[in-house]
Amino acid sequence: MEIYLPIAELSINVFVLLGLGAAAGLLAGMFGVGGGFLATPLLIFVGIPPAVAVASQANQVIANSVSSLQVHWRRGNVDLRMGMVLLLGGMFGSTAGVWLFTYLKAIGQIDFVIAVMYVIMLSTIGLLMLVESLSTYVKRRRNPGAPRGKLHTHYLVHRLPLKLRFYKSKLYISALLPVGLGFLIGILSAILGVGGGFVLVPAMIYLLGMPTAVVIGTSNFQILFVAANVTFLQATTNGTVDVVLALLLILGGVVGAPIGSRLAAKLPGVVLRGLMSVLILAVAIELLTELLRTPVSPFSLGIREVQP
Amino acid sequence: MRRLLLVLAAGLVWVASLVWAAGAQAQGPRIEPPGGSLPGPSLGGSVDSGAPPSVPIESATPDLVVDLSRARVSITSAFQGESILMFGMFDPPGEVVVVVVGPEARETVLRKQRVLGMWLNTGRQSFENVPAYYAIAASQPLQRLLARGAGGEILSLEDRMSIIKPVGTRSAAELARFRGGLLEVKRKEGLYPAAIGQVTVQAGRLFRVDLPFPSRLPEGVYEVKAYLLRDGKIVAAVSRPLPVGKVGFSAQLAGWASHDGALYGLGAIVMALFAGWLGGAVMRRL
Repeated sequence: MEIYLPIAELSINVFVLLGLGAAAGLLAGMFGVGGGFLATPLLIFVGIPPAVAVASQANQVIANSVSSLQVHWRRGNVDLRMGMVLLLGGMFGSTAGVWLFTYLKAIGQIDFVIAVMYVIMLSTIGLLMLVESLSTYVKRRRNPGAPRGKLHTHYLVHRLPLKLRFYKSKLYISALLPVGLGFLIGILSAILGVGGGFVLVPAMIYLLGMPTAVVIGTSNFQILFVAANVTFLQATTNGTVDVVLALLLILGGVVGAPIGSRLAAKLPGVVLRGLMSVLILAVAIELLTELLRTPVSPFSLGIREVQP
Repeated sequence: MRRLLLVLAAGLVWVASLVWAAGAQAQGPRIEPPGGSLPGPSLGGSVDSGAPPSVPIESATPDLVVDLSRARVSITSAFQGESILMFGMFDPPGEVVVVVVGPEARETVLRKQRVLGMWLNTGRQSFENVPAYYAIAASQPLQRLLARGAGGEILSLEDRMSIIKPVGTRSAAELARFRGGLLEVKRKEGLYPAAIGQVTVQAGRLFRVDLPFPSRLPEGVYEVKAYLLRDGKIVAAVSRPLPVGKVGFSAQLAGWASHDGALYGLGAIVMALFAGWLGGAVMRRL
């Protein structure tokens, strides 16, 4: 069954989009991240213009984070103060990101930048996760009762000015770090159409030293508002948000997410992280080969401008 | 729960401030999408507003009568491209040539080159007055017909491409390459169909030809022109406008998105919030 997407201006099979949404939802349910990092490249692979894929994916991220936030809010797993500080950076970052996106689109380099950023980010995260999960797995096998280390180690973070107390996260750190982190995630969110959870969550754990329990809820809180900001700005400046596309992805996600969380309950965390790192690396390699492979045709068309 | 509501209320205030900011911006210049200049779905009537159809332009006795199987191409939610039949009758002897031209616009051709092993767009060249769509068909091999004198008015795709005006200066060889690139991309998208079926003639005077339109079709008013040639000279010509536009739900959405981006953006946010909330609620029950 084909459907015409009014903003992307092409017709595409409904089930392809529902399936993509379900795959992203599956990831969301399994790993607690949005899955946008997988859905956006796949949307581009099936022929959706990158600008539309990114902007519509940001719209989908809102739905994803709101349903996840519901759960975590109820359990009290949201550090509102940390969320607000992250959001402060996130708003500036996403606004700057949309501006950058518009500029890159105008000079015809947006597709390339999207691909390169995905390759760099996904391969870094994928490798880090793979190494981490492999070493944990090996350690556990050797020494199952290993004692846990300190709550968190002290880095440069703890010496920057503007220190704030985050009670829920049991942290006393400089606000500059979460603001800066929020800013970077905001840019990622605007250019890549992802919530950024897959960068934000590890950064919050390893960089800020937040307790794992409040990380997902807090990151969802910030992602919700940043994604709303990106959706709004993309709609007003670039007009590239396709709500029909977003709605189909959301519908697919509703089906995929519960399956993902059930799978997650059955598999141990180390295995899950290992699986996810392999998946992330596979997407990165696919994108990299796209960049390196000689294209069928070196030519493409830019934006068509109707003359007055 | 109360805190969540407070946060949501704060979010709404922020959203409202964005609308206000966008409203202030809306007065400034906006880039209209390709379809922006097209009036709404009421275009169906404009078929009659041009030259009266079915009436030849030059002679009093109709040498050439044509009609289209559809008055317009309607891009609906189920649109997958469309084939429109042009049919008609002519006074023999003679040959029929049909030309379809889409609205003109400036197109920019981007060229990828290998830089440090990666392929990225390094060259760009714009052309003015590039037709969004171009198709030509004839009841005899086109080259033979055009070689006999009508080539001035009726242009083959290659001739039409050779007159598009480049923006800026570049060497002739480079321009030819970009022109070739433009043709290649347009062909691949089905917008310059290289081989639309021949105009078929039956009983010596009835003709028909199928005009294929792909699903990715720029909006605007297309022109379908039929010519009657005798001894290489045009003896009759009939032109019919063919409006191409979104209708129904997709037209409303696209119109909304282009004319009131702020409201559309808010609508998209509310839709996603609601869908996400509902999805979350449903998931918890399962």
